[in-house]
Amino acid sequence: MSIKIAVIQFPAANCDLDAIHVLNGVMGVEAQLVWHNHFKEVKYDGVVLPGGFSFGDYLRAGIIAAHSPAIDETRVMLKDGRPVIGICNGFQILTEAQFLPGALLQNESLKFVCKWINIKVENNQTAFTNKMKTGDVLDIPVAHGEGRYFTDNLKELKENNQIVFRYSSRNGEYGDNANPNGSMDNIAGVCNLDQNCIGLMPHPERASEPILSPFKTSHGKLFFESMIEFIKRRLS
Amino acid sequence: MTKLRVNGKEVGVEMTKEEFGKVKDLLKREPNITELGMFDVMWSEHCSYKSSRPKLRLFENAEENYDYVLAGPGQDAGVINIGDGYALAFRIESHNHPSAIEPYHGAATGIGGIIRDILCMGARPIALLDPLRFGLLKDNPHSQWLFKYVVKGIADYGNCTGIPTIGGEVEFDESFESNCLVNVACIGLGTIEDFKHAPSRAYNPGDYVILMGGSTGRDGIHGVTFASRTLTEMSEADRPAVQIGDPFTKKMIIEATLEAIKTGYVRGLKDLGGGGLTCATSELTGDGNTGANIDLNKVFTREPGMNSYEIMLSESQERMAFIVKPEGLETVLEVFRKYEMNHAVIGKTDDSKILKVFDGESIVVNIPSKALSESPTFIRQEKEPSYLHKLLNQNTPKLNLQLDDIFYKLIASENICSKEWIYRQYDHEVGVRSVVKCGDGDSGILRIIGTDKFIAASVGVNSKHCFLDPYHGAKGGLVEQCGNIIANGAKPMAMVNCCNFGNPEIAESFWYFSRSVEGMNDFCRKLRIAIVGGNVSFYNEDEVKKIAIKATPMIMIVGLIEGEKNIITMPFKNVGNDILIIGETKAELGGSEYYSVIYNLEGGVPPKVDEEKIHVIWDFLFKLYENDLVLANHDVDKGGFIITIAEMCFKNKWGANLDLTDYHTNGLRDDELLFSESVGRFIIEVNSKNTDKILKLAKDFHINVKKIGVVIPESKLSIKGLRIDDFTLDLEKMKKLYDSTIPDLMDI
Repeated sequence: MSIKIAVIQFPAANCDLDAIHVLNGVMGVEAQLVWHNHFKEVKYDGVVLPGGFSFGDYLRAGIIAAHSPAIDETRVMLKDGRPVIGICNGFQILTEAQFLPGALLQNESLKFVCKWINIKVENNQTAFTNKMKTGDVLDIPVAHGEGRYFTDNLKELKENNQIVFRYSSRNGEYGDNANPNGSMDNIAGVCNLDQNCIGLMPHPERASEPILSPFKTSHGKLFFESMIEFIKRRLS
Repeated sequence: MTKLRVNGKEVGVEMTKEEFGKVKDLLKREPNITELGMFDVMWSEHCSYKSSRPKLRLFENAEENYDYVLAGPGQDAGVINIGDGYALAFRIESHNHPSAIEPYHGAATGIGGIIRDILCMGARPIALLDPLRFGLLKDNPHSQWLFKYVVKGIADYGNCTGIPTIGGEVEFDESFESNCLVNVACIGLGTIEDFKHAPSRAYNPGDYVILMGGSTGRDGIHGVTFASRTLTEMSEADRPAVQIGDPFTKKMIIEATLEAIKTGYVRGLKDLGGGGLTCATSELTGDGNTGANIDLNKVFTREPGMNSYEIMLSESQERMAFIVKPEGLETVLEVFRKYEMNHAVIGKTDDSKILKVFDGESIVVNIPSKALSESPTFIRQEKEPSYLHKLLNQNTPKLNLQLDDIFYKLIASENICSKEWIYRQYDHEVGVRSVVKCGDGDSGILRIIGTDKFIAASVGVNSKHCFLDPYHGAKGGLVEQCGNIIANGAKPMAMVNCCNFGNPEIAESFWYFSRSVEGMNDFCRKLRIAIVGGNVSFYNEDEVKKIAIKATPMIMIVGLIEGEKNIITMPFKNVGNDILIIGETKAELGGSEYYSVIYNLEGGVPPKVDEEKIHVIWDFLFKLYENDLVLANHDVDKGGFIITIAEMCFKNKWGANLDLTDYHTNGLRDDELLFSESVGRFIIEVNSKNTDKILKLAKDFHINVKKIGVVIPESKLSIKGLRIDDFTLDLEKMKKLYDSTIPDLMDI
């Protein structure tokens, strides 16, 4: 059984090659870079919507990509129960496509922010967190200008257990100091009701090798290990 | 501005009457208006280096003298072989004048231009570094505006194109108040094969000339001539000469170009930057010893009705010219279609050695393709400024403050404080190569994936030192940049420079340029560092205030680290370890931050470089590295070595007990010892059980290395061994001051 994952290349996605590097080079699974207009869901077991500035983030981050044919293909995959992750710009695309609830607004600081932060696992039942434990604190970097999570339905999100990650200190304390962008309730990542689709602002592909981490950790790998585990369970 | 009569009409050009005579000699007739515009642009200082060329000939030929140099000065970028089949391309250039008028787009298009230069060598851009200069921020809304939008311009453009900004440097000084400096550097990575595929010349007749990317508009016409004169109050009216950047299109151009090169059908490649289509077509054919027919009707324009003059001189951004083998035309065009990039076959090369441009049926340009690169050179007068003598003889004032107060003031000063406000806005992680985090090292370090090699790069120079002594200031800049990468474990390989000076027609300004070049040349020859490229930006003066900028020969050094275990970082690693200082502190307070921050003084004798000694110190450090004896290393820079030690304490909130008795033996005043910016010094952290061994080795090397302290768990620096009483610095307070200066000025 060979697992095949697509990394969608939207125009000006720029973390596409990084995702490919981690999936192929670190995780050892078969991942392909697929130009957004060429993407056909039938060939793949899972999809990564990578970070970047799809279509230059012109108009609004993620909105143009959300109208790409690749999104229609992705919808089919989601209905079918296959795993889909949106990282950073990919998260923005997934909210614009309304696969995930909420919206991502300009950072509270009004500035782009690139730094290593921490997130705490709130839900380990999703396709991308099944190798984590609830309450785990992960080392991971963010790099975005529009990452302030907002929803007008926080209550429902909580009731449905759709909050997957929240920004915290390395000791696991929530608080404004741990929140890099002013996100509502420190929300860093959410999932759909079926839990096979997640989106998050931090970059797991930048945190999957100890050499890249200031703490020599590789917590980002857990996302992809979970994804592979999820696919294996589906296929078996 | 010169007024000329051409074909019965009066026209204004930047070239002199003598240059116009040479144009007529080359063409054996009068040029038409389009041709005249092309010569005017190509013979501008910015494109032709007519003032600087005679002096730059001092530099040795890097390609001939260094076996690892694959491309040296004169190409779009320098290229070095780093082994394992990989090559690095890098270059630095200025975008000062556009940024001084329109900081956001000026800086953004500076990044755009330097990316294209790297792309032209067939390499993928993998890092940006941006050294900057502004007026002092405090109480100066204009400087704050320039600073804010230059940083935002770099961030928005670099982040969108997916190239991490891994380093930079900034100084604030009133001489840069209206003429800020925005220098941009880019590093590209490719295989040696990739590099062979993309020469920046059209050497084969019968190939297609393709224009790809953004459309040609009326923006940026005469941008380079604008860069070749001094900014004045009238310069605001030149705002249309600043181009508008489009990082989204640039990202598409990067991917489409790299994919097109991979087809194997691209025979030549040139970006359209300064001088636009004129520069690209004439250099491709001139350097390739060919000619070409170009049809302007094929060029896709942003607006109708553009005439041949406008199309040939437009500096619209995001355009590339490709020379493509006839049999590969469809394959290459298919790549451009995939990326939905505008493109057009605009002509064909031939063996005529003449550049002919047609507007439909009528020929509008007919000039020998080499003629545009045959600009005359000027031997400029140089004269040491008369004010220097008095400045150099400045005596150190009487110490009038408590030492601890001086340290708190220094750490909070704009030139020493943390630059986190800047680098947090840059994506420095994209590309998954950045292995040392900003603030943890003196240089930017990237891994070469698939190997155990790492590259390190550092850029900067001390403008205050260069103002007082450009010869030693330039050398000091080299020592400092080399020191930054050596502190992280890298061996320096090659350098590129960006010379920012005043008006070369003024003898005093040209003297600064001349002495800086001599300093760089002497140092690089002696220490065997290849100079693989450079850029010159003159006319950085403020006509209103009648001052030139402080001389700024910006230097970027690139080096290599073999093996992950050989990467050294700055923060102290453990309590109880010994702190050693390497190198001698001399009475060199000239141009120091201590003088300027505490006494508002400009003057004194700045640091001088001793090449022989520096080299031994570097050899000594590598000897220690070989034996895994160094746990942390930080090059001593602005503010002196106590500031250096404080920075090493910050990350883990530790401190140090310092005893300077053994080191304070040269008869220096206390403030000279503490605040001199003598170059070539390092602070290292070592395990105390190795200290004796290291000190003994230092004796064998005949260099000055002293143990001056130990790392302690408390966040304080206690200092004894001075003539005055012992004192203690509160490092928590220092860190707070260090972190808050720029945010307090900018985030209001």
